[in-house]
Amino acid sequence: MSRKRAYRSKMRILADMMRAIQSEAEEGAGPTKILYAANLSHDRLKQYLDELLEKKLIVEEDPESTNRVYFLTEKGREFLREFIRIERFSEAFGIDI
Amino acid sequence: MQPDFAILRLDLLFEVISGIIALMVTYYATKAYRLTGQKKLSDLSTGFLVLSVGMFGRVIGTWYFLQLGEEGTGLIFSIVTIAYGASRIMAYILFVISTRPTHTHVEQESQNANGIGMMLLATFLVDPNLEIVAILVLVIVVLQAILNYMSTRSKFALYVLIGFFLLLLSHIWMAGVIANPGLYLLSQGAQLLAFLSLMVMLIKAGRD
Repeated sequence: MSRKRAYRSKMRILADMMRAIQSEAEEGAGPTKILYAANLSHDRLKQYLDELLEKKLIVEEDPESTNRVYFLTEKGREFLREFIRIERFSEAFGIDI
Repeated sequence: MQPDFAILRLDLLFEVISGIIALMVTYYATKAYRLTGQKKLSDLSTGFLVLSVGMFGRVIGTWYFLQLGEEGTGLIFSIVTIAYGASRIMAYILFVISTRPTHTHVEQESQNANGIGMMLLATFLVDPNLEIVAILVLVIVVLQAILNYMSTRSKFALYVLIGFFLLLLSHIWMAGVIANPGLYLLSQGAQLLAFLSLMVMLIKAGRD
């Protein structure tokens, strides 16, 4: 028995993107990897990447380079840890976030 | 009278501990709501807040009763008992609303309207036996917790299921207190264990 998720909140989409970046650890993640891992359209990906950059949750390795690679910042890692705690709490009560 | 008062004081201690844990759940749920904006978390937070306010209200009211002795305290005690029972039912209704299984957006909105309407009507219909109503509402909460555990198989969901089940058990035992007064402390003990189970969930979910 598995529950169908009705829709993802914006916060979950951002967390999914950050998880994709975290999974690449020191190598960092490129846009394609994030796009597939977070299941996003190209437009949405760009919009959310800009938001993550603006909030300083991720950084771009070399903004001048054509080969874009993103890394989590310390703030981003802390946000993801907090999100996971909240995800477990919500899941315990059967609340999708 | 002395042994009864001793039981009552132990019961108050249990109630204070449970109230503090309910406040901790309120804090976590509020924090989660602020981060995600998920309305159900706000309902859950309000439910636990109402529950803790009812518990502390009962502790203060009963303590007042114990200090004053038996002169002219019957009315106060009745008010405290009814307010406590009503606050618990309100809290459980909020638990039913917040923990109901997720559906698609349109389905959910129409079900919300029907469900909340029915629940509010139910609170007006009840009065004579608040304990029975609390049991009926909690049965729904427990069923939803079972469904959630079956779909997620998460240990955190299991702690919540155990917590709600013990809470239901405490109400069932409380309903039988008139026939068997010995069930009173058992009921309070089950309630304390229910909240301790929720506290274990909070601690484990908060770990990195």
